[in-house]
Amino acid sequence: MKNLRLPKSPKVLLGLAILTFFIIMTVIGPWLAPFDPNSTQFAPLLLPSAHHWLGTTSLGQDIFSQLLVGARATMVVALLAGIVATILSMTIGVAAGYLGGFTDDGLSLLSNVFLAIPGLPLLIVIDSYLPVSGRSNEFVIGLIISLTGWAWGARVLRAQTMSLRNRDFVEAARIIGEKRYRIMFTEIAPNLLPVLASSLLFTVLYSIGAYVTLAYIGLTSTSVWNWGTMLYWAQANNAPLSNEWYWFVPPGICIALVGTGLALVNFGIDEFINPRLRAAGLTSRQRRSLGLPRRARLGLTPVLRSASVKRPTNTRGSLVVE
Amino acid sequence: MSTKPLDMEETSNVIERNLAPLASRSEYVLEVNNFSVDYGVGENMVRAVDNVSLNLSRSKVLGIAGESGSGKSTLVYAMTRLLRAPGVISGGEVTLNITSDVDDHLDSSVNLVTASEKELRKIRWSHVSIVLQSALSALNPVLRIGHEFDEVLKTHRSKMTKSERRNRSVELLKMVGLNEDRLDRFPHELSGGQRQRVMIAIALALNPELVIMDEPTTALDVVTQREIVNELNELRSRFGFAMIFITHDLSLLVELADEIVVMYAGAIVERAGASELYGSPRHPYTLGLLNSFPPLHGKRTELVGIPGSPPDLADLPMGCSFAPRCPFVMDRCTHDSPPLASLGESGRSVACWLHATDASVPVPVELSRRVADQVTGVTVLKGLA
Amino acid sequence: MSNQVNAPVQLSARHLSRHFTTRVPGRLFNAKHVVRAVDDVSLDLIQGHVTAVVGESGSGKSVLARMLARIIAPTSGELELEGAPIRVGAKRTLDYAAKVQLVLQDPFASTNPVHRVRHSLERPLLIHGADKNDVEALAKAALTRVSLDPPERFLDRYPHELSGGQLQRVSIARALCVRPDVLLADEPISMLDVSVRLGILNLLRGLCDDEHLAILYITHDIASARYLADEIIVMYAGQVVERSRGSVLVDDPTHPYTQLLIASVPDPSDPTSQASQKVERTTFALAEVGCRFAPRCPSAMDICRTTNPPNFQVGEGHVSRCWLHADKPEVAVEVALPERRREGESTKT
Repeated sequence: MKNLRLPKSPKVLLGLAILTFFIIMTVIGPWLAPFDPNSTQFAPLLLPSAHHWLGTTSLGQDIFSQLLVGARATMVVALLAGIVATILSMTIGVAAGYLGGFTDDGLSLLSNVFLAIPGLPLLIVIDSYLPVSGRSNEFVIGLIISLTGWAWGARVLRAQTMSLRNRDFVEAARIIGEKRYRIMFTEIAPNLLPVLASSLLFTVLYSIGAYVTLAYIGLTSTSVWNWGTMLYWAQANNAPLSNEWYWFVPPGICIALVGTGLALVNFGIDEFINPRLRAAGLTSRQRRSLGLPRRARLGLTPVLRSASVKRPTNTRGSLVVE
Repeated sequence: MSTKPLDMEETSNVIERNLAPLASRSEYVLEVNNFSVDYGVGENMVRAVDNVSLNLSRSKVLGIAGESGSGKSTLVYAMTRLLRAPGVISGGEVTLNITSDVDDHLDSSVNLVTASEKELRKIRWSHVSIVLQSALSALNPVLRIGHEFDEVLKTHRSKMTKSERRNRSVELLKMVGLNEDRLDRFPHELSGGQRQRVMIAIALALNPELVIMDEPTTALDVVTQREIVNELNELRSRFGFAMIFITHDLSLLVELADEIVVMYAGAIVERAGASELYGSPRHPYTLGLLNSFPPLHGKRTELVGIPGSPPDLADLPMGCSFAPRCPFVMDRCTHDSPPLASLGESGRSVACWLHATDASVPVPVELSRRVADQVTGVTVLKGLA
Repeated sequence: MSNQVNAPVQLSARHLSRHFTTRVPGRLFNAKHVVRAVDDVSLDLIQGHVTAVVGESGSGKSVLARMLARIIAPTSGELELEGAPIRVGAKRTLDYAAKVQLVLQDPFASTNPVHRVRHSLERPLLIHGADKNDVEALAKAALTRVSLDPPERFLDRYPHELSGGQLQRVSIARALCVRPDVLLADEPISMLDVSVRLGILNLLRGLCDDEHLAILYITHDIASARYLADEIIVMYAGQVVERSRGSVLVDDPTHPYTQLLIASVPDPSDPTSQASQKVERTTFALAEVGCRFAPRCPSAMDICRTTNPPNFQVGEGHVSRCWLHADKPEVAVEVALPERRREGESTKT
């Protein structure tokens, strides 16, 4: 439906590259891992070497394998939580914004409550009520993370919906007799794609943080490897104090990189999804070759150096013919 | 080949204009030569204004008529260097002949295309000002009206004291028929017509020689439009500034302007005195445009307007850009683009092969009427569709 | 509602009013302020006729259109569709939507930018019971009806790929898809380029004549109203101030507002008739009591400032709400009888 062309902005390209890298790691990571992350057969606390690219833990486990295997759980849970939260926020936000009245009041109250309660403590509380079997189910963890992450997106989407609600095309849909729910989800929602995409990225970012934090505190099952669990073990064995950087720095960097990638892509998301928004500006190299100033300035329309002007073949002239 | 200069004093007018003594100067206040403006560069370049030349005498009114894509707004914004990116001036020059406030001997000419930022800042508002289309978006919604006046006066007349500025602001408001209390209001508290008057007052604050108006009355109802046009005429007769008035409403221009330029797809297609253009149009587009306004009186018959729609500037046809919609199109029109040629009568020019001296067909009767024959609104054009 | 013309009355409105209550800012007590957007308007929309409503912004014409389309509920007044009265509190039914359609002013705003033209045409067809297999053919037929030929070229385009005139035709096609009896057009040409306006007006006239629609044409441009309409209604500040058959009120305006309107229209063939209003119109001060136009009226009398004038029959099919004509008979329900287009005038093919 939409023309997907690669965005030109270097920021966005970098972000996409980072994310692609980690997605690949998610998919083939466990397959690539040289050793079983659980196996304690190696000598403990080895420094990074050709044999163990990131060294070993105090229990003799290969850190690099842990990193590769851990990528999957981290990314999948974060993505899952992000998607569920976004679906929740879209449903609640659009319904509140479009339907108005008591529905709006009720749903807004709900989202305000969830917004006001601090996410992490709430997560901890919910998680601690889970039976142990539930805690080891990553999907359940993902779901409860999404429960705490939908409220912000819902507010944003509600505001956007309220501004779209008065647009003519919504009125036109009402006039031809379209039902309310169809207006909400086939007329209004597609116009919210940039906001939704941005909300999704932001929520995934939040979910990674939440998941890693839960794992770090020890509230998730340690049988499933993820970057947060690695940090948990590192912390439990005093790795930071003992300067065993190869244990806790790699997972930390990976988390940070994924977050950065998401944030960078977020910059360009509007442009990417809606081709019409792409700025028709010139790159700086083009500007320089034409004698134009580096940045466009208001009130000072640039004048081309005539040598580099390419005239179209169909020039209409105003030469005077007597 | 040089453009024969227009002497607008010779153009006849139906409406008498009571002009101030400044009109005795026969110089032009504005001279535009071979001016071109593009959007973008290289592969995706779109030519928005193509080689436009025109002159404007002091204290006269030039009307620019056209529809979307005609380039009329782009032309005036680029002329004053106010065009936003990705607009780029790709050729030509714009000369503004300004008079000094102090001493007649210090009159000078400025080429706006090559002027520096400092020069532009000196010129803008003191010698040339612009009234934008939508006053609501031109005025800062969180600032009171008085503040806007104050800013302009402070920037350009730094020697004025606060109370002097206030007095001048009140004077300017009274000039456009508004009460002093408007100074303390916000833009949204004023009606559309009042806001537009405020814009006009601000544009005249420093008594410029040239005022450019970009569709100032398009968003207003017809009664307010009438009031504002009357106001403008009165102000012109008092202060003697020249005016460029841009609109799609050709019938308004016929009343208001001394000379009218019709633009299509970025180029001038016809140039003539106002009443001549109305009474005896020479370009098929002008004729079509005049026939697009249903008359208020006279017989009610079916009118056709112009079939098709204004062209996409990125995808102009070969030859004359109006050819696809022209009822008098010839074979030549689809190959070669006609240049803007003088018609021999004083000041008129038209870009149409029908009027070329070597034309193979006689000029159609609709395009060869004399001034004396008024259009009564009964011409029916059979379109191509 | 009887009338002497043979064509049936499709939609009939009597004494429609719409009031909005707002708060006057800055006041604690007595802060209620009633804005009478539409006040006591009656009209008949007749099959095969175009009724034009002329007014500036703020005259209430758009609110009137939306009340007739029933997307805004009137504060008071009655509506009848094909003789059957509409119950006051009733919700707008699909059946009503099938009979009365509305075309809006800005074609780019009234089409959803993320959906193709195809979607805009298919939805009304499907909603009102067309068979899924017939939908494509019906959509193409609708496009052909509004002169967008060949229809295949337009079906899969996005709104921003079309010009304003083409998109407005799509809007009209969309309204036609439900096969309505009444078409309400709210300033359908004011956002279009000048050269394409007549095409749309001719299209509307053609639809009226060929498909026997009843059309309501709302505009601020009295010249286009004169061109298109069989009946012209002039509104000011929510009230009908003058109405007549054909172009009678353009040639012989009897209400000072109509006279002002006509004098203000640029008319190059008659440059000496430029009236000018010296009175500055303030934003909120509409007369609460008496004739709404009195503050601006050059002929205002004492009675004008105290009592709102009733409608007076100033000619055949010509009604004026002005005390200047108090010598003429009063009319209770001021519906002018439209007359057929005069013989000898061509109708659109």
